[in-house]
Amino acid sequence: MATDTPLKQQAPRPEPALPELGPLGLLRWGWRQLTSMRTALFLLLLLSIAAVPGSIFPQRNIDAGRVADYIAQNPTTSPWLDRLGFFDVYASVWFSAIYLLLFVSLVGCIVPRTRVHVAALRARPPRAPARLHRLDEHAEVTTSLPPDEALDAARDALRRKRFRLHSHDTTSLSAESGHLRETGNLLFHLALTGIIVGMAVGHLLGWRGDIILAEGQKFASSAGTYNTISPGPWVDTETLPPFVLSLDKLDVEFNETPGRSFGTPRLFDAQTTLQRDPESSASRETVSVNHPITVDGADIFLLGNGYTPVITVRDAKGAVLYREATPFLPQDGNYRSVGVVKVPSAAPKQLGFTGFFLPTAEPTFQDGPVSLFPDTKNPELALSVWEGNLFPGGAPQSVYTLNTDEMKQVTKADGSPALIRLKPGQTYELPGDRGSITFDSVRRFAGLSVRTDPGASVSLVSAILATLGLILGLTIKRRRVFVRVAPAPETVGGDGRPATVVTIGGLSKDSDPGLAAIISAIATAVPDRLAERTDR
Amino acid sequence: MPTTLAANANAALYASMIVYTLAMLAFAWHLAARAPKVAASRVEEREEALVGAAAPHTPERRQGSRYAAGPGFEESLQSRQRGNIALMLTYLASALLVASVAMRGIAVARPPWGNMFEFATAASAAVGVAYSVLAKRNRWQWLGVFIVTPILLVLGLSLAVLYTEAGELMPALKSYWLGIHVSVAFIAVAFFTLAFAVGLLYLVRLRREESPPAKPNFIESLPSSATLERTAYSLNMVAFILWTFTLIAGAIWAKQAWGAYWQWDPKEVWTFVIWTVYAAYMHGRATAGVDHRKSMYIALAGYVCVIVNFTLVNLVSTFVGMHNYSGM
Ligand code: HEM
Repeated sequence: MATDTPLKQQAPRPEPALPELGPLGLLRWGWRQLTSMRTALFLLLLLSIAAVPGSIFPQRNIDAGRVADYIAQNPTTSPWLDRLGFFDVYASVWFSAIYLLLFVSLVGCIVPRTRVHVAALRARPPRAPARLHRLDEHAEVTTSLPPDEALDAARDALRRKRFRLHSHDTTSLSAESGHLRETGNLLFHLALTGIIVGMAVGHLLGWRGDIILAEGQKFASSAGTYNTISPGPWVDTETLPPFVLSLDKLDVEFNETPGRSFGTPRLFDAQTTLQRDPESSASRETVSVNHPITVDGADIFLLGNGYTPVITVRDAKGAVLYREATPFLPQDGNYRSVGVVKVPSAAPKQLGFTGFFLPTAEPTFQDGPVSLFPDTKNPELALSVWEGNLFPGGAPQSVYTLNTDEMKQVTKADGSPALIRLKPGQTYELPGDRGSITFDSVRRFAGLSVRTDPGASVSLVSAILATLGLILGLTIKRRRVFVRVAPAPETVGGDGRPATVVTIGGLSKDSDPGLAAIISAIATAVPDRLAERTDR
Repeated sequence: MPTTLAANANAALYASMIVYTLAMLAFAWHLAARAPKVAASRVEEREEALVGAAAPHTPERRQGSRYAAGPGFEESLQSRQRGNIALMLTYLASALLVASVAMRGIAVARPPWGNMFEFATAASAAVGVAYSVLAKRNRWQWLGVFIVTPILLVLGLSLAVLYTEAGELMPALKSYWLGIHVSVAFIAVAFFTLAFAVGLLYLVRLRREESPPAKPNFIESLPSSATLERTAYSLNMVAFILWTFTLIAGAIWAKQAWGAYWQWDPKEVWTFVIWTVYAAYMHGRATAGVDHRKSMYIALAGYVCVIVNFTLVNLVSTFVGMHNYSGM
């Protein structure tokens, strides 16, 4: 290329000789390596590979229960996998290291490129090279227009095509267009950092709390009332929005047409009553999948649902020890659900029940407790009974699991384990005068999630800008066009009028089918101007 | 009423598969006609070279289009006729497929891409339409067989393995974002697919340019490897922009449906992996010192990720995440 500022910015540099570099030079060399496009390429590939394990191994951030199952099933490999972060890939040291390096590389790349680009925006297009016919695209026309008028015609044509123009002398013209390409490119890379900043803000200032709420229950939001709450490091949990929400009814429908989608959900709508703060009046709100409601900057989502059998446990004298709508968590598409009833007040030993709720029980139990349909067509509870110490060591534990370390399964008179099967309204007398358990009725529960993410809007705006930048950076072509005029050695048409030879050459940074069209448009602009003049 | 429409949709699907099969055969027939002509035109080329610089234009210039056939190749009338017949059949088949997708959409009163079967059919239709629109202008008859064959495979497999009765959507998918996010996703996939086919041909063409085979075949009638590479790049570029949009639209939808725009669930992971691999391809291509062949390998790897994203991630239970909306 015969231009003084090369269009290709990333010319291969000679490899620096290492031994001659001092510590500072080494540092500078390292920085240059880190911020080179080759390194960015390598880090991008590395990042994509590093992201994959997180989709293969269960992840704590998605489903901690599955991680626990996996560890239990693979006792030899999983401690190592765990130590290496394979169950928390996206928070692991190695994953973070890759994207942080990429982030540094990105910033280290944007800054100098911005400087270069600003200088390029101010600079004039370079002087026309001597031999324009050597350029990628070129054309030559001979006209009887005088040189300055021919150059004017070319100038107007280029201006109409939004080229920036400069004449270094009276016989040539230099034109340049497509600075918006690099502007777009920089905008894209800068916006990527904006997305990362937005994610960081969300992580630090956002929080989420999850609630399981049965039909008829009421929830008052405060730091202590959520089933689980995960606040960001900078969140003050004393300032959560003080709303009160009750679940009046959960409307659910499942597909009952036989076929592949038999039993798939059709509708989830939670009818709620919401009081935004203790002073305001209550209003009716519907929360459904894809349609959260917003309170004080927090969004309330309907993320799950299931069943809460209402269960009563009585002692031998008939006094009620336990009566609660007890949530059972669904395990499959037909809502075979597991749950636990803990009765610490039972005497002489504490009682625990664990087992399944089946909305549509397969009656024979030949393959164990199985549900055939997600709706309550034939609801049944199947439980086993344990007695002993419910809370060994007094340690806190999940309400959905029974710790049987210090418990013994209750057996019938013949020594076989007592297995309880109950339909709504039925009661089971526990063996050995331990009292009774009754399955009163079943209600649905809604799994609600309250979330805030103050960084989301930053990320969103950045993402939109990134897309815009990407479109500009990829579709706009960076072009240079040069025009030279010179007196022709012969006259045109032999009528003695002096003639001018106009040479046009253009080059483009990448494959550019449009360049040839521009060159020929300028080539035709010159005779057009002549025609205009003769018409006059 | 909707049931008859759904039945018509299926009938149109079968009809389009029959016509695509005919198109595939016609494209193969067309390629067969391209090959022997090459030998003859090679001789011409050599003669032209002997005459030397006297020839004012290179043959490629004379063709007028960057995307026209390779240097030294003059397409025979026979080859051209067969190519055009194949192209007509492709138009017809694609129109039938689009009609099938549309009828299914009307039958279920929602965007017809709510399950894997529907997505596969809609994506195939997008590949067919994208190819049909671009093929005429760029004279891509040589590409046809490499596009129509995979379409047939995908349609056949999805009918056999994934077929789902037209029905209502599960609540998780009831959002206008289904229309936006998913349609842009499969249009992106359509462009990735075209780019993949051209990319493969580029690699073959390049190898045969570097060490010319004893017996030329239709590969030698293709545009030059440099042109094929540029074509693949342009297609990948369009696809990459669309994929970027898919990613962002998906995140917006996730925020609305699940309250968090990014949770690294397997589908999100693979969408991201695809995006970074193609970003690496874009970088490789723009970096001096990384040759285009290596960059193309990255793009092909990206396409493998696209396939994994649609097949393994949806079907294998290892990849369980939020996108498997099974009641909970
Ligand atoms: C998060 C990491 C990055 C991503 C996702 C990314 C993505 C992209 C994409 C998609 C392009 C468009 C390709 C093209 O214009 O042909 C591009 C171009 C470019 N990137 Fe990056 N990039 C990243 C980091 C970097 C870094 C660290 C550098 C610094 C060395 C860099 C330097 C460039 C340059 C110079 C171009 C322009 C190439 C051209 O004009 O054709 N990028 N990048």
